[in-house]
Parts: sequence; C-alpha cells; structure tokens
Amino acid sequence: MIEVRNLVKDYYGHVAVNDLSFTVDDGEVVGFLGPNGAGKSTTMNIITGYISATSGQAIVNGFDVFEEPEKAKKSIGYLPEQPPLYPDMKVKEYLNFVAELKKVKKSEKAKMIKDIMQLTKIEDVSGRLIKYLSKGYKQRVGLAGAIIGYPEVLILDEPTVGLDPNQIIEIRELIKSLSTKHTILLSSHIMQEVSAVCDKIIIINNGELVAYDTPARIAKVMEESRELIVTVKAGEASVKRIIATLDGIREIEYSAGDNEDETRINIKTEDNCDIREALFFAMANEGLPIIEMKQHEVTLEEIFLALTKGGSDQNVRRKTIDKLNRGEVDE
Amino acid sequence: MTAIYKKELKAYFTSMIGCVFLAIMLIIIGIYFFVVNLLSMVSDFSVTLNAITFLIILIIPIITMRILAEENRQKTDQLLLTSPVSIGKIVMGKYLALITLFGIGMVIICAYPAIMKMYGEADLGEAYSSILGFFLMGASYIAIGMFISSLTESQVIAAVISFIVMIFTYIMTNLTNLLPTDNVSVWVIMGVIVAVISAIAHLMMHKVAVTAGIFVAGEAACAVVYFVEPSLYDGLINNIAGWFSVVDRYRDFSLGIMNVTSLVYYLSVIFVFLFLTVMRIKKKRWS
Repeated sequence: MIEVRNLVKDYYGHVAVNDLSFTVDDGEVVGFLGPNGAGKSTTMNIITGYISATSGQAIVNGFDVFEEPEKAKKSIGYLPEQPPLYPDMKVKEYLNFVAELKKVKKSEKAKMIKDIMQLTKIEDVSGRLIKYLSKGYKQRVGLAGAIIGYPEVLILDEPTVGLDPNQIIEIRELIKSLSTKHTILLSSHIMQEVSAVCDKIIIINNGELVAYDTPARIAKVMEESRELIVTVKAGEASVKRIIATLDGIREIEYSAGDNEDETRINIKTEDNCDIREALFFAMANEGLPIIEMKQHEVTLEEIFLALTKGGSDQNVRRKTIDKLNRGEVDE
Repeated sequence: MTAIYKKELKAYFTSMIGCVFLAIMLIIIGIYFFVVNLLSMVSDFSVTLNAITFLIILIIPIITMRILAEENRQKTDQLLLTSPVSIGKIVMGKYLALITLFGIGMVIICAYPAIMKMYGEADLGEAYSSILGFFLMGASYIAIGMFISSLTESQVIAAVISFIVMIFTYIMTNLTNLLPTDNVSVWVIMGVIVAVISAIAHLMMHKVAVTAGIFVAGEAACAVVYFVEPSLYDGLINNIAGWFSVVDRYRDFSLGIMNVTSLVYYLSVIFVFLFLTVMRIKKKRWS
C-alpha cells in the first residue's frame, strides 16, 4: 500500500509538487499520468526516499519513508526514468549486486535471479556487459533489478519509454502478470498504456492532483461531451421541425454543410440515450436523406488533454473536477 | 555494506584503474627503494617513504575521483539511495574498498624492510612505524578525495580539485611561515574567514536571516576576543593552518615515534571527511 499525504516539494520557489494526496491500495495497479514536468518523477523519487519532501508524508507498506527509511525501502522496487545500471557489469553480476544490496537471503538468491531473468526475458544476455545492450534490454534489466527481492510495492517511472511496439506489448504483459502479486504505481504519458494496464488513474498537472479514478469513470464524466454529428440534405427549417419531435436531446447546434442544400447538426444527448435509430426513421419518413452520421467517442487522450491543458477546454476541465470532487459520478 | 564493498573492489580490478594505481605506486616505491636503500646502502626505509610522499599524493586522486562522481553521473545513486542500506553504510563500504586497495600496496611494501634485514642491519621498528604512518596519511587523503568526489558529477573536476587540495595541504607547512602573526592581521583574517563561512552558508541554505545572523555573530565574537584577550590571536592563523597540514603529522611516524596525537589526528581527519561525505549526500536529497 502506498499512502501519500499533503506532499509538497519546493525547489526554492519552484513548486514541483503541490499538496498532493492519494492512496494506492494493496494489489492495485495505478497509472500516474501527467505532461512533462508535471511532477511525476519528483513524486516517485519522494515515495522511494531518493529525495525528501518539503512537507507532507509518504507511507509505504505502513512505514513512513522519512522516519523508517530502511523498512520502507525494503518493500519498494524502483525503476527510475533512467535505469540505474553499471555499464561495466555483466547482467547477472548486476542482478547479483542488487540482490545483495536488497539483503536477499543467500539460499534464495540464485533461484530468484534465475526466475526473474526468465520473467523479464533477459536470460540470453545474462553474460553480456550492460554497456553493450540495446535500450530495450537495458530497460528490462532495470525492471529485473526492481523486481529482485519481490518487494510488495513496485514503482515504475515510464517503464516502456524508448521501446519498440513489440517490446512495449511484452512489458505491458509483464506488468499485468506482476500485478497479481504486487502493488504497482507506474507513470506514463501514453494514455493507451495506462488504460490497458491500470485499475485506476491519477492525473496530475503542475504538481497538483487533477483527477483520481478508474479509467471507465473518468471516461464517463466526459461522456456528456459525446457528440453525434449528422449531415442532412435539407434546409435548416425542416430539419429543426423534425428534430423537435425527438426525445432525449440535451444540446443541439446547427450549421451549414459542405454543400449549399445540406445542414450539419451537432447533437449532445442525455446520458444512456441513443437517438440514432429514431433520427434515421424520422428523417426517412419525411424523405430527407441523411448524408452522414457519426458518433464522436471521447478517448482518454482527449480527457487527458482537456484535464491538463486548460485553455479553451478550461470550462470542461473545471466542470469535470467539480463533478469528481462532488462525487456525483458513479459506476 | 559488504555488497557495496565487494562491488567497488571488483570494479577497480575489472576497469584496470586499481591495477594501474597499484602498479604506479609499487614502481615508484620500488625504484626509490632500489636507489635509496639498496644502491646507496642506507638501511633506513623511512628515507624512501619520505622521498615519495609527494608522488603518492599525486596518484591518490586516480582512485578517489570516480568513487562517487561516477554514481552521480550514471544516476546509479538512485539505486543505492533507494535500497534498504543507510547512507553511512554506503559511504563506509566505498571507503573500505579504497582503503583495501591502498592497503594491498602497503602490505607488499612491508616485505622491503624484511628483505634488508635478511642481508644486513635494519631498524624494523622505525621502518614499520613509518609504513603505518604512511598508510594513515594515505587513508586521510583518500577520505578527503572521496568527499571531493561526492561534490561533483565529473571525474575530471573531482581529480583536479583533489590535486589542488592535496598539494595545498602538502605545501601548507611552508606557507604558514609566510603568514602574519600579529594580532591585528589575525583579526582581519578571522573576519574574512567569517565572511566566507557566511557566504557558503547562504549558498547552502538560501536564508538571508541565518546568513546575516552568522555573519554578525561571528564578526562580533572576533571583535570581542580582540579587545578582551588579544593574546589569543597570537600565531592563531599559523596554528589553524597547521591543522590542515596532513603531511606534517607523518614526520613523527617516520622518526619511529608512535605519537598518540598524530594517530588521533589522522583518525579524526578520516572521520570528519567521511561524515562530511554522508552529510553531502543527505544534503543533496534536500535541495
């Protein structure tokens, strides 16, 4: 379990993390999302005890990182942004060193290293010097180092950065298989990755918590902005007349289509209301052809952008945060 | 601690730095031993060691420059500092590895007086006392070099600063003779030292109130001492400078005198610089 309470990190005037609080329960996989410089790495470095916080608490597995660092660190496996590898060591030698550093019992060490090398698929390079490995292998050796000692909590800072698509899938599978035994906090700025692997998402921006929920519920909050875009070959007046007979429409917007005799309608419907069929028959009865109808699904990318960017989406963002804070959203 | 100790020692021998260091040290000592003791037939081994003190000072940075600077540069300090090992033990493990490397050379040297004893007269007590003194002096310089290595990410900068500091301590004995001893000059110099300390404190803490406090209190204390008990300032600068003269203490050992003050001096230098290294690493976490 990871508990972060009111964490603040102030670099002489530059606030990297501002009053951040969240809890990651046992066995959960939580994705930590944010644009570059949002404070992801800083927060992770604080939780792992690499740097200290200006104020606030970080509790891992029941031990305060600042008060009982050795006990807390024993239950953490950390893969920093840049894997901490010694280029002049061989892979096996490195894992051996990490195992000794983490005080793994001598009797278990050999088997553990063998198992972990198998798990991370680095057996074929076990005898090679780390400096000659490719980026993907280095990343995996770093991950193997983090898993050594089977710590309860794994903290992975951008574990798939710099890997090719195949390797990304492999690492993702690996993380999924690890999630049965470990509590995992992983950071990323790739949405797909987080929605594929994680039970929950923490979104931070400028060191502040923007949202903390399951991917599905965050998407649900944004569902209200799901749009139906329809182009009808008819004048605006007749379209308006027909639309008025339909139920479940929350917001509607008319504009001219690409051709002169076409009208484009952007429709926002009530929650759980699909009007596509009704719309089709209503138009068909009047003999008005629908040229185009498409549903605009909100992706996590858009949510992410909307939540972190501000600007023109500032209102959406504010609304979303308000909703989340009021706990209005439910499954 | 043992994990780090073993790793460092191994690293010195896989990267050749350790072998090169030992080779240079043994070649230098071997040549001097051959020329001074064997060819000139002088049975006093301490003469050899006295002659090479300066050269040893020059090669110590070879092994100390990478010890922490390289960890900082490769970001492997993230692994060490997030593992369940205290900073004190990390520093201790690294220091012991350096001492072992230097100690291997010293153990080999121990054979030289014995060789002389086999073929003639040699004062073994004096010889081994000077080897012990030499080892302690080297150990002190290693502690200083390790501290300097912790300050930077660049091995080259660490090596250059170490050279400068070590040469400075070497010539300190001669420098002290040039420094003024009268009360007023000492007061002025003390005032400058207080100003420098406040400046360093300001760079480290970024708090104007603390800096000003240290500066005012320090200057006031200097002034009070000058007006109340000016005799305290007599030769003070020379004494203070003498503390930094690491090589001076070795001279006792080379005369065959096991002086407790010198022993305590070396042990305190080692302790202070190991402590400063630990503090430096802790400080880095806070900035």
